[in-house]
Amino acid sequence: MAGILTFALHYEGEINKNSQGAVSEAAKLSQQLGTDNHVVVVGEGISDEAASSLGKYGATKVFRVEAPEGLSQPVIDSMAHLFEANGYDYALFGGGLLGFEVGAGLAARLNAGVTMEVTQVNVVDGKLQAERPILGDSSISTSKYKDRGIIIGRLNSFEIVESGSGAAEVEDVTVQLSPQASQATMTVRGEQRGADVNIEDADILVAGGRGLGKAEGFDLCTDLAKALGGAVAATRAVVDAGWYPYAAQIGQTGKTVAPKLYLAAGISGAIQHKVGMQASENIVAINKDANAPIFEFSDLGIVGDLNKILPKLTEAVKAKKGG
Amino acid sequence: MAGSNGKHPSPAEFPPPVDTQKEFIKRELDDEEERIDVGVAIVGGGTAGLATANRLLQRLGNDPELLEQLGEVPVAVVEKAKTCGGHNLSGAVVRPGPLQELFPDLTREDWRKEGFAFGEVHKEAVYLTPTSKLALRIPPPPPFKNHGNEVISVAALARYQQAQAEEAGAYILTETAATQLLVEDGKVRGVRSGDKGRGKDGEPLGNFEPGTDITAKATVLAEGCWGHITGAAIREFDLAKGREPQVWELGVKEVWKVPTALNRLIHTIGPWPLSLSAKYGQIGGTWIYPMKNDKGEDLVSIGFVIDLEYADATTSAHDLLQLFKTHPLVKKILEGGERVAWGAKALPGGGYWSMPKLTMPGALLVGDSAGMVDTVSLKGVHHCIKSGILAGDAIYDTLKAGGTDLSAYETAVEESSIGKELYEVRNTRQPFQKGFIKGAPLVNAMIATKGKFPGGRWAWHRNDEAPMFIGKTAKKYPKPDGKYIFDKLSSVYITGNATRDDAPNHIRVQKRVPREIAETWKWMCPAGVYEIPEEAPETGPVDVIVNYTNCVQCGAITAKGGRLTTPEGGDGPLYQLT
Repeated sequence: MAGILTFALHYEGEINKNSQGAVSEAAKLSQQLGTDNHVVVVGEGISDEAASSLGKYGATKVFRVEAPEGLSQPVIDSMAHLFEANGYDYALFGGGLLGFEVGAGLAARLNAGVTMEVTQVNVVDGKLQAERPILGDSSISTSKYKDRGIIIGRLNSFEIVESGSGAAEVEDVTVQLSPQASQATMTVRGEQRGADVNIEDADILVAGGRGLGKAEGFDLCTDLAKALGGAVAATRAVVDAGWYPYAAQIGQTGKTVAPKLYLAAGISGAIQHKVGMQASENIVAINKDANAPIFEFSDLGIVGDLNKILPKLTEAVKAKKGG
Repeated sequence: MAGSNGKHPSPAEFPPPVDTQKEFIKRELDDEEERIDVGVAIVGGGTAGLATANRLLQRLGNDPELLEQLGEVPVAVVEKAKTCGGHNLSGAVVRPGPLQELFPDLTREDWRKEGFAFGEVHKEAVYLTPTSKLALRIPPPPPFKNHGNEVISVAALARYQQAQAEEAGAYILTETAATQLLVEDGKVRGVRSGDKGRGKDGEPLGNFEPGTDITAKATVLAEGCWGHITGAAIREFDLAKGREPQVWELGVKEVWKVPTALNRLIHTIGPWPLSLSAKYGQIGGTWIYPMKNDKGEDLVSIGFVIDLEYADATTSAHDLLQLFKTHPLVKKILEGGERVAWGAKALPGGGYWSMPKLTMPGALLVGDSAGMVDTVSLKGVHHCIKSGILAGDAIYDTLKAGGTDLSAYETAVEESSIGKELYEVRNTRQPFQKGFIKGAPLVNAMIATKGKFPGGRWAWHRNDEAPMFIGKTAKKYPKPDGKYIFDKLSSVYITGNATRDDAPNHIRVQKRVPREIAETWKWMCPAGVYEIPEEAPETGPVDVIVNYTNCVQCGAITAKGGRLTTPEGGDGPLYQLT
């Protein structure tokens, strides 16, 4: 059967948020194509629970392959095997470095077309077309595929939608791995750029900018993030100033995030920052400059002094949670 | 300090922490097996450097023997942008002659098919803009006559020239900065490419790649306005001896997609939006040219150029362009359109008297590096191409004769259209250093008499010697709305600029300076690189924040008290249409 095979990445027993988005996107597209929505997970001892949880995002079947964890070659072998067996037309990835590597390898293996950093996929005349921003996001390029297509999303570009009705069917598949798949072993799994918090997966982000005034100003953000159960992010300006580590940088040259709540404290909202967080579900901005561009794309804007507002907000959240 | 009246500081009093000779000249070459040996090394893949490559390869194409002698890499072009043209920006309306001479088989219709030219000028208009509402059409002064010239994009032209050069056998090393001039026994031996993969403090990161000595039989410095290595070469070989100092202008440009085609070329020569007060020292002008994109849609190139001689620290070429766009003359053209590109670039404005000696042992200067711009008529592209042709010929002849002396190029330039045209306008801009009102009649006299009256040799003084004060120009700037009026950062964004955040700072400035100097940098920089901390004192020294990753490498800072050096290759904007 034709259709889409989506790769879902997992870490410590949980499916990566970004992959949940990719599966949701595939569910939507499969429905338009009139095909099943198949997903593959690859790793060591992936639980039934984790695999079947993808049903929530619209997966109709999840293939589970027991193979070395965290490497690209075993995934390429597994997906090539499933393409052979089931005759898919497209492979979909949520993005990330592993996704890029697997996607490129799979494209070579299948002699398929490949598009990276995709932000939108459309069904046109029963075929998929991928849209990818180019030239510093100033234009959109559209990819069509002559034959099979590999589509790799930009991180967090696909929205998570719980469209499914519970657990998906899980089918174990044995794949003959290629010799090169066992050449590399994973020695350590490092977070991208040494982050200790994975801000790309956080539901709540409290982001600080130059408006915090000084490095110590970040304590206010940390306190609030802790109270809310979220993580702390930063703008390039404050990372440049050495107030916060690069791993937490959001924007054009940092990470792209889409949390449920993005609270921007003392951030003016220049386009370079906006492109990294504009997909957030709710944006709340606090800034003393009423003319700051951030207010143009905030759901809620507060004009005022951070040093007064943030501690009060932290207190209020604590009180509410405590009570 | 010269030029300082004691009350107001001048940027020259706060020179950048840089030792040009020591840092940018390498006197000991690496071992032979570590070097890359090429025939001719060209630093800079802009119109001038590529014209040199184009011409030289045309000549070598007919001479397989000499080509063979030059080795595996006969011609190498070192370009710091992601692709040739990526850092190139100009108006631009060019005189067609030199480009026709360089590519004789190409018709002007072919230029347009190749996508770098947009049509011959048939109609033109020059306006005085006395106020924000008024525009008075005046008969075009002789330097503004553009009938028969062609509107082009230099970024697109450079891409075309790159393709031609590559086809003819040139090696184009893009994303490679030339950071040092190799000098041995009083002779230029080539250049060294920059390291890649260094961290903020210069420490090598995981992907560190050291630079390489690129040695050549002849080296061409085609770095454009204020060449990083060119500056070192001028000092090393005393090329500016007996010449006037170079002075600079800064241009900021936008390209708009417009609903209705513009049917003429427009120049405005002020005074609005600049101040007429001599105290402000503002001299500038604008252009609006019709263009097309590859889909045949109508575009307009609009730009503002200001002489960097000004004294009001709050002068901002970017914001003046935004202000200019609010004039009814402009609104009529742009309204209903959409901005598709933006860029900024400094240009040399000194003309004839400021041109350095063009040759030194083993190397020569072409194009803007040599200051070949006529800023009265806003023209330099044709001189860039012509100098490339002459350089290509001179290098070919020298190599053919088995010699090393490139001085024939010097004479060839002097006797060519470059020397003649620039000589005619040699005295035309200097009177403006007296201010617009006192200077304008003299400028007119100089134009009318081709520099003979009042005549003589008119001196320049350096831009960074002008004392700066905090004036009121900034109060006039319109507030950005993100649709018609834009701020600096969203403008930088559409250049495709993505400089690595943890790269070393490539801008040298004194960080603790008087408020006037800090304000000068903050307002002047079109890319928002210099920032004054909010808590900085109103008077007294300011610690300037340098957001160097915003930098679009326009070069203006070098004219006003700092120094732009080369960042890591590949960093900076990626201009397409400018």
